[in-house]
Amino acid sequence: MGKRRRIDAVKTEFAEAAERHLDDVHAYLVYLTGDRGTAEELAAETFARACERWHRFDPRRGGARTWLCQLARSTALDHFRAEERRRRREGRYAVSVPASEEQVFGEGLSPALEAALSRLSAAEREVVALRIVLELDGEAAARVLGISATACSTRLSRALQKLEKEVSAGVAA
Amino acid sequence: MSPLELVDDRFDKLAEELRASRPVAPVALRAQVRALAPPGPRGTFPRPSRRVVFALAGAALLASFVAAGVTGLSGSSTKQQSAVKPKSVKTTTEHGDAVRQGVGGVALKTPAPNLGPLQRTSDLAPTAGRLQRYQATLRLRVKDVDAMSSAAKRAMNVTHGLGGYVASVQYATRSKGGGATLVLRVPVGNVQTALTELASLGTILQQHTGILDVTRRVDREALQIAELERQLAHASPSEAPVIRAKLATLRAKHARLLKSARLARITLGLTTPAKQAATAPSRFDRTVDDAGSVLLRELEILLYALVVAGPLLLLGAAGIAAAKAQRRRSDARLLERA
Repeated sequence: MGKRRRIDAVKTEFAEAAERHLDDVHAYLVYLTGDRGTAEELAAETFARACERWHRFDPRRGGARTWLCQLARSTALDHFRAEERRRRREGRYAVSVPASEEQVFGEGLSPALEAALSRLSAAEREVVALRIVLELDGEAAARVLGISATACSTRLSRALQKLEKEVSAGVAA
Repeated sequence: MSPLELVDDRFDKLAEELRASRPVAPVALRAQVRALAPPGPRGTFPRPSRRVVFALAGAALLASFVAAGVTGLSGSSTKQQSAVKPKSVKTTTEHGDAVRQGVGGVALKTPAPNLGPLQRTSDLAPTAGRLQRYQATLRLRVKDVDAMSSAAKRAMNVTHGLGGYVASVQYATRSKGGGATLVLRVPVGNVQTALTELASLGTILQQHTGILDVTRRVDREALQIAELERQLAHASPSEAPVIRAKLATLRAKHARLLKSARLARITLGLTTPAKQAATAPSRFDRTVDDAGSVLLRELEILLYALVVAGPLLLLGAAGIAAAKAQRRRSDARLLERA
């Protein structure tokens, strides 16, 4: 009886966390990968992993959003590695740039900002996603990235400067 | 506080636009995630929190102290039992006869039982009518340096009074006490009186008596001397000096033997108790000592383990740190390329 209740409680906790943070994780992965389709796949993979490892989640060590973002990053890195290996195997070294006309980083973004974001590296986009889009504080973002809070601030500052520069260049063109 | 406040206000407009048009998860993905159900709680060992680790370390430390305390208590009681067990003093003769006497044991914490002086000293007396070489060693404990000094003087007086003499005296005092060794020569006829008198000067710690009967040897030497005298009387002038020299040597040897048979040799040792031995340590002191030694031993083992395992642990930690750093750099490069 008690075990059944505990199982139900765990399911409810996970369901609530997934519902609350799905958009955040998805948005983070969109920024990280720069591709909506890949982001959806990775988000599904991330939540599948989270579901499997939910018993390991310890709220004392950080919020569920941070934990899920860490998991998402790890899933994305695995994907990037696999992709790199595949490209190397197939002899395709050129990084493919999404050619579709659809807006990747969000509906309603100006074309200049959309283009500027796509010209940033994944590392720059992920810090923008975490600090600006998801509005994580410096410490939580640093924990997701596995760097210090100072390094995280520096990286964000540089990414925003570059983004602004790219936007200005795009508008001028 | 806005996350951008730490960066720059210039990017506020940019941030607003990014936030306003953030991507939203598609319905299909939401449905897919909703369908997920985590497995029930597993019986895995929970990762101990920092508080638990500290508590365990404290408990281990406490256990080591308790173990040291218990060892100290049991050790001190064992020592107490062994400390009251008296040891006997061995008295031997040079013919191989051994007599054990329960007087003034070395390990006795208190002076020997209050027996009469005659009972306390050896009752091995020289046999009348026989020539015997008598040697005795007596070790006495006196109260302090002053008592040692007066005991030494008294021993010399006794020796002179009994017709003997003092062959040698060694006397030393230190900050913690002192010691004296007197070699006394006393006529064999008075040796029992001398020993009785000397024994009364302190507490007997050790006593050794040796008797060697030299009557036959004296007789043999006397016969040899008589024979040489007879040979000398009939010797030619060329043989006489050799016989005379032999005779002189034998007479000197004979005189020494007779003297040793006339005068007993008594070696008297006087000692004061060492300060730490003067007062036996209390049970508490012994417990603390034992517990301290156990803790010291534990510390030694811990240090040994650290010395042995420390470099390996350091290497392991350095390896893990290097692997993590390498992984981080690899991830960063991967994201830069992506």
